[in-house]
Amino acid sequence: MKRMLFLVLFELKKILNRKKALLFLVALNVIPLVASLALLVAYVKFKSFGFGEVQFSVLYEIVQGLFKGHVKLFSFIAPFFLALVVGDSFSTEFSRGYMKMLLLTPINRWQVITAKTVAIMIFLLLAVFIGGMFLQADLLLARTMTQNSGVIPDSLMQELPDQLNTSKPLNLVSTSSALQLLAMTFFGNLMLIGFFIVFSLFFESAILMSFTSLSVLMGIHTFYLIASNLLSKMDPWYDTLAKWCFSRHLDDLFAIKSIENILEGKANIFAGEIFSTLLSISAWTVAFYLLATLIFSRRQILH
Amino acid sequence: MTAAIKVTDLNKLFGRKQVLRALHFTIPPDTIAGFLGPNGAGKTTTLRILMGLIPSYKGNLEMLGCSIPSQRVKALEQIGAVVENPTFIETMSAYENLYWFGSLYKPLPDARIHEVIDMVGLKEATNQRFGTFSTGMKQRLGVAFGILHKPRLLILDEPTSGMDPAGRVHMREILRRIHREEKTSIFLSSHLLDEVQRLCNYVVIIDKGFTVSEGYVADLLATHQEKWEIRMPDEEFERARSLVAGLGLQITIENAPRGLVLTMNAGLSGQVNQELVKAGIKVNALIPHEASLEETFIRLTSDAGDKGGNA
Repeated sequence: MKRMLFLVLFELKKILNRKKALLFLVALNVIPLVASLALLVAYVKFKSFGFGEVQFSVLYEIVQGLFKGHVKLFSFIAPFFLALVVGDSFSTEFSRGYMKMLLLTPINRWQVITAKTVAIMIFLLLAVFIGGMFLQADLLLARTMTQNSGVIPDSLMQELPDQLNTSKPLNLVSTSSALQLLAMTFFGNLMLIGFFIVFSLFFESAILMSFTSLSVLMGIHTFYLIASNLLSKMDPWYDTLAKWCFSRHLDDLFAIKSIENILEGKANIFAGEIFSTLLSISAWTVAFYLLATLIFSRRQILH
Repeated sequence: MTAAIKVTDLNKLFGRKQVLRALHFTIPPDTIAGFLGPNGAGKTTTLRILMGLIPSYKGNLEMLGCSIPSQRVKALEQIGAVVENPTFIETMSAYENLYWFGSLYKPLPDARIHEVIDMVGLKEATNQRFGTFSTGMKQRLGVAFGILHKPRLLILDEPTSGMDPAGRVHMREILRRIHREEKTSIFLSSHLLDEVQRLCNYVVIIDKGFTVSEGYVADLLATHQEKWEIRMPDEEFERARSLVAGLGLQITIENAPRGLVLTMNAGLSGQVNQELVKAGIKVNALIPHEASLEETFIRLTSDAGDKGGNA
């Protein structure tokens, strides 16, 4: 067990030493960061021009938008970077001989694949968490800008959307909603990690592996869109086939309506359709992991 | 005592090409064993199979009494190995690489890492990035990694490839010291026959995936080769040379200042001497020379090639 934990740490260190991984962190969090700074600048400008408080309804929309934008961005951009990070952990290690050195030590192959997967998961969690921290900083900033300690001022009550037009304490985006959105983002990408690992075992170049796996992913998703919307009307068999396209779960998970509902506290990830989607995603993640372990156990290391 | 390595009936196919054919050998404990064979003989493939890098093969393997692959982890805990060139993380220093890779065997005290770095002569490069290392330094760090956890068996693949003569001498000294001081058996593959003869006391020779011969170096040389200097008057040189060449035996003939040096399979010297005397050539002296491993190797592998199978 100690050996396994040490291996996870080693893999995490290798990931964090790579420039691509740092680029991943920066690229995915640049929007929340820039938005936070823009919000701060706007606040200072408003104050300095003597406009007093920023209109709460504007602020509300901004912060809500930031959350939606960040979650959507993560679902669109993360796969491209994740493919490279996974490719570096497997494909590049095959070609550079790092995998060979690892397998000369008394470690089982399933431990290698598990440790690498866990390290990539921790890295993803870190990426999601940093984005979340920026957004939480936005919340704090927004609270400061409304110049109250959590209670909506009477003067602003009329500007609030109906669902917030109550006497409840002000909470732009609750911590629970924020955490649920971050968890959703994490689990959605977890399935993709499994998918990319399976591909990375057949390649010795991270770029080639990323290109191929993303092409297949997009191909599967395009088929799903065509089959479920168009072809199914001609033959129901296509609809059955479309249900096996795992990428559809990402569409369901990151639907803008789901994100809005969580933000507004109308839905949560532990119930309803979102929960069943998360279960399906977990099942696919386990399936990809088992497939990868099986393939890796039979792979010849010739470099 | 348990054999360090025991390989029985090992077969391996890459696609349709059979690279190992019923390969077998046993390395006794407490030896420095050489693993010899021409390019493409199957040396690296054998080492890869032993270390579990190639999981599909037919045959039985044992290392230090542990059956492979079922007891692979238990065996590897007692084995240090570097197959082909050591490929450590290029952005990490020598120390960091040894710490991270070495700790996968067991927790290592700092002092042990510094001790092995010192032992292989890389003290000055402790904090130098692996990517900036020369070939010789990389090989030495590979050996340091192999002995870090004080293994009972060290397996090395061409540990001196790409090294200059001084580096080779240094590497030989390091390996002798490890064998002597840490009581580690060593199994190394090499193309450098002279080096194997100087370093190893046991040798396994393979060719085209077959075991050609194995045994203690001294026994092997005595069993397979005879090398004699035959002294004779100068005017008899050419007649003797053509006579020996015409015997139809596999004999290598070299000129010596006062005669000929003949290298031949064991047991042929008497017949050659008889033929010379019968032809009226005056043989002044028969002086035995020590046969070299290189000659034995070339003879054995060419014999195996002629027979197309196990010698």
